[in-house]
Amino acid sequence: MTSAVSIPTHGSTGGRTAVAARARQVVKAYGSGETRVVALDHVDVDIARGQFTAIMGPSGSGKSTLMHCLAGLDTVTSGNIYLDETEITGLKDKKLTQLRRDRIGFIFQAFNLLPTLNAIENITLPMDIAGRKYDRAWLDRVVETVGLAGRLKHRPTQLSGGQQQRVAVARALAARPEIIFGDEPTGNLDSRAGAEVLGFLRRSVTELGQTIVMVTHDPVAASYADRVLYLADGRIVDEMYQPTAEAVLDRMKDFDARGRTS
Amino acid sequence: MTVVKTSMRNFFAHKGRMALSAVAVLLSVAFVCGTLVFTDTMNTTFDKLFAVTSSDVTVAPKDAEAEDTPQNGVPESLPAATLEKIRSVDGVESVEGAVASMNVTVVNADNDNVGATSGAPTIAGNWTKNDLRSMEITSGHAPRGPTETMVDSDTADKHDLKIGDELRTIAQTGDFKAKIVGIASFTVTNPGAAVVYFDTPTAQRELLGGADRFSQFNVTAAAGVTDAQLKQSVSGALGDGTFKVQTAKEASDEGRADVGEFMDVIKYAMLGFAGIAFLVGIFLIINTFSMLVAQRTCEIGLMRAIGSSRRQVNRSVLVEALLLGVVGSVLGVAAGVGIAIGLMKLMSAAGMNLSTDDLTIKTATPVTGLILGVVVTVLAAYLPARRAGKISPMAALRDAGTPADAKAGWIRGLIGLVLTGAGVAALLTAASADKASDGSMMLGAGIVLSLIGFVVIGPLLAGFVVRVISAVLLRAFGPVGRLAERNALRNPRRTGATGAALMIGLALVACLSVVGSSMVASATSELDKTVGADFIVQGNQRIVPQAEKAMNDTPGLEHVTRYKVLDATLTSPDGKTDDDGVTAADPTYAEDVRRATTEGKLSAAYGTDAMSVGSDYAAKHGVHVGDTLSVAFKGGETAKLKVAAITSDDVAIDQGARYISIATMEKYLPAENVPPNMIMFAKAEDGRADQAYAALKKSLDAYPQYQVADQTDYKQELKDQIGQLLNMVYGLLALAIIVAVLGVVNTLALSVVERTREIGLMRAIGLSRRQLRRMIRMESVVIALFGALLGLGLGMGWGATAQKLLALEGLNVLDIPWPTIIGVFIGSAFVGLFAALVPAFRAGRMNVLNAIATE
Repeated sequence: MTSAVSIPTHGSTGGRTAVAARARQVVKAYGSGETRVVALDHVDVDIARGQFTAIMGPSGSGKSTLMHCLAGLDTVTSGNIYLDETEITGLKDKKLTQLRRDRIGFIFQAFNLLPTLNAIENITLPMDIAGRKYDRAWLDRVVETVGLAGRLKHRPTQLSGGQQQRVAVARALAARPEIIFGDEPTGNLDSRAGAEVLGFLRRSVTELGQTIVMVTHDPVAASYADRVLYLADGRIVDEMYQPTAEAVLDRMKDFDARGRTS
Repeated sequence: MTVVKTSMRNFFAHKGRMALSAVAVLLSVAFVCGTLVFTDTMNTTFDKLFAVTSSDVTVAPKDAEAEDTPQNGVPESLPAATLEKIRSVDGVESVEGAVASMNVTVVNADNDNVGATSGAPTIAGNWTKNDLRSMEITSGHAPRGPTETMVDSDTADKHDLKIGDELRTIAQTGDFKAKIVGIASFTVTNPGAAVVYFDTPTAQRELLGGADRFSQFNVTAAAGVTDAQLKQSVSGALGDGTFKVQTAKEASDEGRADVGEFMDVIKYAMLGFAGIAFLVGIFLIINTFSMLVAQRTCEIGLMRAIGSSRRQVNRSVLVEALLLGVVGSVLGVAAGVGIAIGLMKLMSAAGMNLSTDDLTIKTATPVTGLILGVVVTVLAAYLPARRAGKISPMAALRDAGTPADAKAGWIRGLIGLVLTGAGVAALLTAASADKASDGSMMLGAGIVLSLIGFVVIGPLLAGFVVRVISAVLLRAFGPVGRLAERNALRNPRRTGATGAALMIGLALVACLSVVGSSMVASATSELDKTVGADFIVQGNQRIVPQAEKAMNDTPGLEHVTRYKVLDATLTSPDGKTDDDGVTAADPTYAEDVRRATTEGKLSAAYGTDAMSVGSDYAAKHGVHVGDTLSVAFKGGETAKLKVAAITSDDVAIDQGARYISIATMEKYLPAENVPPNMIMFAKAEDGRADQAYAALKKSLDAYPQYQVADQTDYKQELKDQIGQLLNMVYGLLALAIIVAVLGVVNTLALSVVERTREIGLMRAIGLSRRQLRRMIRMESVVIALFGALLGLGLGMGWGATAQKLLALEGLNVLDIPWPTIIGVFIGSAFVGLFAALVPAFRAGRMNVLNAIATE
């Protein structure tokens, strides 16, 4: 099973199509000849709008690479990637930057915030950079949702790790991007702070209709998603809807065992 | 050993980051070595020149000072009879009479001066055997007869002179024409002099005003007679008194001492500028190492955690500094030789042909350069090294990211404020000093203290100043401007040190520009206040009667004033004597140069047997109007002159001059001993200034040795002279400024490396390359403007203080050259833009993914 395309269309949040992002026959390879390493091997994937998608897989499976390619951070060797109806493969840096700025949100594992800006400045940064006016009411709602109202004037160094990640979530949400990519957003947090952040992400999907794609290796984190994609050796090997932590863990063990026997 | 190994690895791992610091060391060391090699080479050149041109023994008039022409403008000379006397002395192989005068102007057929222009002398003389030691005739032949002359080839080349061309030589005693019949080339380095030769009778008649006189005698010793023996026997034969007898060694030592003194002035001035560059370089090195240590916090923490001692960490940083110092200094020494050769080429272009064969590299030069470079680098790295040693092993465990250290502490602020306060107090004391000598000490102390104070509180000031600059400049650039401001503010110590480096150079520029422009303004205002004459005529030579007549015959002039400086011995009523002489002028001089008097009227001093003295002299000797002074004119009688006026000495022109009228002078000084005019003034008839100026220029066309200037031209000339001097100094300060700019580049480059992840993040969330580059450029501009603001402020303060102090010496007007100051300020912004070019480009090229992945 190398594709995860046949997805039922969900009720979308004002999007034009039910699919927020698509990858078609995407190949990402490093090096050439004998040292050639294939990180993504003809991957087809559709990311449903208004859904929380988790990408899982062991180290080196290509999960981060897939996310980077979908988000326009990395280029592909071949194949096509679309954000809504826009093909982003082949776009020049300038267009890609604009696209990231206006249509995509990011939450990284660590070092998400600019240390020189306070929380609210960090949250509004993408819109500031774009010179865009922000929707005050929406911003307030986002800030309230992530529970940061009292800490907006704090600098990142004055915030705990969990608070910092919540600021990052708020930043990603504030600009109302079409899609938010999270790269192990809770990887650096303890389980309680992690649960908090994941809770916000879940709520933003359920309540605000946000589309989120998250790379993780934590079954618990994956259990917050609507759908889990499993990557191994650069290919999508499985998927699971409405996952629970136990089911995810079982499936992972399964792959692990299979990987060892094959 | 591992320490050295880690240091080496680190050093080479950060080659790029070290490069700019190495360049700073290189530049400073190169400047020092270049200066030393250049001045040593000049000295070698002159040694050779003097060794060649001095004959075994020379006999010259006792008070013939090469630079100082006697008051009548004719060089001192000796009677020809002395020649015979010397010839008969035992041990003399041969003796030759030489004629030389530097008080000449040589012009071509178009009346254009073909003499030396670069400050070197124009020498007219007879062609002697002694000249053959330093020159050879390369075309034509030596001059024979009154209408023939020979010039040196450098002058011929420069002014396109050929055999057959006619030259007019203007001596004090008259001018005469001669055709070029030969061209002689220097076989040694010509220090820029222009030389014309005549046959002996012509030279004697035209240059010395008498057929039987010589300027000096060149004596050659017979075989087996040493120079010292010869000198002794010649001195013995001539008797002492009016002769100065020197051996070749004495003569060349004397010349060398003169040149050596001059070269020392150049040497120390240039070393001073090199010192400033070093100082600026220190900031750069401190910054580099501070940033490298900060970036390596985790690594150092790990080293400490696994058992490195503080000392080992400390030492590993110092070893890196040592490597940097060695690399920079070695390259610097090599570059220094290059600089010296460059300077020599420059001198050649200016008319002084220095040969690279004479290139003198004393052992001391590379040794000095190396020691200086290495010691300064290691010392500068000491503080950062100590800081590295203090890093706790815990740092390895912390996710340090970017260390948020360097909050400027209040102790630092206090020390800085105390130093600055002391500096300001010293400057204020200097400004209100009564005596220039006391004040200058305070001024120096004030400058040093306020500079150090500013450096120390720089980081504190950075916070404030950067905010102000940003409020004015960066707000227009929205969020990118805000990011730039925050980046400039995030490490005040770094911004402070980077700005301070620029501050030093610019403070000196501002200070000197204020002093220079105050000099021009003061002189101009003094001229406006005191000079009533419309035209001033002067030149290197005294004004001959023919030119005086031409001036008198010029239409449209209301009056022409003669002005002569006379040698005389004055005896005041209290019995003290001095040889400072008197100034004889026409009574109209009182209109030409208005002088305030403290007693009496100046016009009365131009009466018969009357005079004036300066207020300082009057106070010192208790002289009042009505007292009688005894004035013994050199070559004339002794007169009893009544003091009719006491002039105020609070002036820049003619300070302390004692005036008498020309009529009084003529009474006591025989006509043949009356010297020509030193300078002459003229006033146009009302409303005819322009015509009169043109007419006066025309009348003096035939006298190219004099320059005519009206007040406007004169002021312009003054301004140009000071401007030229300032430009030279600015040029030398450029070195320090270049090093400071390297510092800005360095800080930015290291900051970009340090902020790799941040940059990646910003790019990921949509900051475009252009915005990123703009952000870095603006940060750079803000740092540069911070340095400029501090430097210009400090410099203007110094300049204003210096002016207040120098007001005691006549520098009465404070003039702040706003165009220069504002120009420098705006220029600094461009310097900032320039410094950001490469760092911004590199930041823009950074791969987003790699940047994010960077630990």
